[in-house]
Amino acid sequence: MISDSPKPKEPRFRLAPAWWGVIPSLLALLLFIAYPLIQVFQMSTQKYSIVYEGFAGFHNYARMLADPNVGRSLLLTLIFGLCTLPLFVGLATLCAIELEGTRLERLVKAILFLPSLWTIGASAIGWYTLYEPDYGMLATLTGGFLRLPWHDKGWAGVALIVLFTIWQNVGYGTLIVSAGLKSIPTEVFEAARVDGATENQLRFGIVLPLLRPSIVFLAVVGSLYAIQSYTAVLLLTQGGPFGSTRVVGYLIYETAFGTAPNLGYGAALSVLILALAFTFSAFQARALKSDL
Amino acid sequence: MIPSLKPEAREKVQAGSPPKGTWFGRIVVGLMVVFVLLPIIWLAYSSFIPKEALFKPDVTIPVGFTFQNYLELPFKELIRPLLLSLLLSSIVAGLQVLIALPAAFAIRAGTNVLPLYLFLLSVPAELLLVPLYGLLKDLNLLNNPLALVLPFLASPFTVFLLYGGVVKLPWAYVEAAKLDGATNLQIITKVIAPLLRPEMTAASVLAFAAHWNLVLYPKIVLNDKNWATVQVALTEMLQKDPNNWGALGAAAMLTSLPILVLYALFERRVTRVIEGGLK
Repeated sequence: MISDSPKPKEPRFRLAPAWWGVIPSLLALLLFIAYPLIQVFQMSTQKYSIVYEGFAGFHNYARMLADPNVGRSLLLTLIFGLCTLPLFVGLATLCAIELEGTRLERLVKAILFLPSLWTIGASAIGWYTLYEPDYGMLATLTGGFLRLPWHDKGWAGVALIVLFTIWQNVGYGTLIVSAGLKSIPTEVFEAARVDGATENQLRFGIVLPLLRPSIVFLAVVGSLYAIQSYTAVLLLTQGGPFGSTRVVGYLIYETAFGTAPNLGYGAALSVLILALAFTFSAFQARALKSDL
Repeated sequence: MIPSLKPEAREKVQAGSPPKGTWFGRIVVGLMVVFVLLPIIWLAYSSFIPKEALFKPDVTIPVGFTFQNYLELPFKELIRPLLLSLLLSSIVAGLQVLIALPAAFAIRAGTNVLPLYLFLLSVPAELLLVPLYGLLKDLNLLNNPLALVLPFLASPFTVFLLYGGVVKLPWAYVEAAKLDGATNLQIITKVIAPLLRPEMTAASVLAFAAHWNLVLYPKIVLNDKNWATVQVALTEMLQKDPNNWGALGAAAMLTSLPILVLYALFERRVTRVIEGGLK
């Protein structure tokens, strides 16, 4: 650099050569993500069951406030997130640290990641026939000793979805932590050992603090699982027993496309959850910024 | 290698290696592997259980081995949806990478729309099901297989993944190609694409799996038995006869085969790209 003059200010928008490369992708994204993101507000003010029936004003929102299912569903999603997150982050971190540098590292990481790609309908079949409380393989095999009664106990339904979510995602978490682990320079461990640090001091005094960025990233990703869990709910419990696994994503689906479809009300619910999700991720973006 | 240097070198590696494993950790990892593999192994096993075994009082004792379950898989209710999904997910995976590549290059070359992509990436798309349904209805795309392709043409995630790869490439290659008179299109197809093969492979595999594993979406926008996707078919099989383990297991194994093959071929690239994505 020739002089110390301050950098010229970045123009807000710049077209560089090959700018046309973004056109197809941007057009598709604007039409299928950005436009629905705006459209959802309009739909939420409409009386719209299966067909458009007219303007409804804030009717859908008023109904939302009076609907006990909404609060219940939000609380359930929060509980679900609070159960999943520590398990997900803890297990992924432990697996990654434990596997680092061992002979089985690659094989075990490959195995742990497999469920996240595995045909999800097939996974559901495997889980259903294995863990079904009355006729399932595990219950039959152990004479009813090891059974999760998710047909009639609410907590068991939630536990099932939590376990399924962990099953699907723990491998991804392990890969993320593993990447963070590999980026710690070996000199750090060397220096600590020369200074006489014990293995436990290495674990809790060095590895965990240095893994903080990866762990924060996992926490962000993991909290999204609470919003995405509706697929597992649809496949395994269909919201039951007695609505105890009706997470917000599933509530929207049931409202908008269930037996009494109401797209307008479903849109209003979507707006609420979107607003909550964005507020939440704004806080998280702050946490990430200070860490990455 | 000089033999006398060996012990010293090994010692150095150990001093710089991360903390040793613990018994507790080893047990947890072992349990996790069992927990992860159990449903998959069970599926593989159950797919070979003969039908008669299900009517015996204790099905846990292996009563035989048969391919019958695989041979009896219904064409219309399962094989056709499987083929349809294979076709659609492959098209989507291919097009997604094809569309993302020039976008990733353009962003690297200086078109500063990255924040817009980051924003679109942060939108939880699963919450847009309702307005997307409205849009597809207005476009007359409901119950049309195009509804399973068009909205997935572009993915901010794929663009981001490929951008991560382009950033790591030495830009001097591009400058050199430019000096030799290559057009941008030639640079993308002849310089960037070959260098980016690992990322493109991983992105295609992930895009394929993501599209392949859609359940709710196809159920809603393609509410037509003739256009059932593989996941819709599996869900219906499970709901219709949840106790027919043999048939369910065979269907689950057969429909997992494409994923298994893809993963066996490209496991290294996929895990590498995910691990590298954060750095």
